[in-house]
Amino acid sequence: MSIFLQPLQTVTVGSGGASSITFTSIPQGYTDLVVKTSVRSQGTNGTCVMFFNSDTTQSNYSVTRLYGNGSGSSSAAYSAPYFVYSNESNFTSNTFANGEVYIPNYTSSNYKSVISDMVNENNATLGEQFLSAGLWRNTSAITSITIQEAADAGFVQYSKFSLYGVLRQGI
Amino acid sequence: MSMYSIASQTVGSGGASSITFSSIPQNFTHLQLRFFARSTGNGAGGNMSVNYNGDGGNNYTWHNVGGDGGSAFSASIGASNTSANFGWNAGNNQTSGVFGVGIVDILDYTNTNKYKVSRSLNGIDNNGSGLTGIWSGLWLSTAAITSIYVNVNGFAQYSTVQLYGITTA
Repeated sequence: MSIFLQPLQTVTVGSGGASSITFTSIPQGYTDLVVKTSVRSQGTNGTCVMFFNSDTTQSNYSVTRLYGNGSGSSSAAYSAPYFVYSNESNFTSNTFANGEVYIPNYTSSNYKSVISDMVNENNATLGEQFLSAGLWRNTSAITSITIQEAADAGFVQYSKFSLYGVLRQGI
Repeated sequence: MSMYSIASQTVGSGGASSITFSSIPQNFTHLQLRFFARSTGNGAGGNMSVNYNGDGGNNYTWHNVGGDGGSAFSASIGASNTSANFGWNAGNNQTSGVFGVGIVDILDYTNTNKYKVSRSLNGIDNNGSGLTGIWSGLWLSTAAITSIYVNVNGFAQYSTVQLYGITTA
């Protein structure tokens, strides 16, 4: 029996799509959180924002990112919660980005650090990979998480977001 | 509880040409594959190619971004190839006892509305030089994944590949 990865909530986008998804009333009894994302956008901007506790002021967040697209690599930093990426609508149909966000110590009284790895696949030379380290400059425990496409295009049907709580050994 | 061991294969003396997980249960939401592998072929890499459900057609692609200790790079196999890729492994001409390591997530593997995308964190350190990166792989099929075949141009002894199923709420 393993209890180190406890399923908490899942959101699967229904027909018609969704402008955003939110996990609310996140239990406070775990040590870390994990969000697995299988996501496709209704638009051509694959960048998504992840807000904690309804704090939508993007400058309260930052991220440092390693990026590859099949032919080149780069690194950049942003004052925004760009922790999630979705497949764009102009990428190969039926293809959804595959990603994971790890949020350690989400109930602590420190600022919240985040790490994520995301890939957007495409049957072409262009396909994207992202490795990001992020920060939310807030000491509140995380009780809700909202994810939306940065240009508000929304997510297509069958996009799936799975939230897990992680229990460390000895807790 | 959400993560269950489905199967594990460890290569014995004499090596193995490939590893296949068949009859994968369909009652999980996601799959995770973990590997510790060394190739019996030469060369840094011994890339771990993958095929699903016995499909060896031109229905795959892969991309990566990585670093080799000196610089970062990104690569792609381009469109419509015969396998995807999970990452690098040690070759037979590299330091003895060195293996490549990777963790691969395949999300929504039973969803028949989605092509199947894998995401792999992978690396190998050959006593001071190495490779590390993120790989993505695409199988152009909406079929539920029922088997996974991986190949590194021959697995060396002690290579291990483990398959897990992950549930959701």
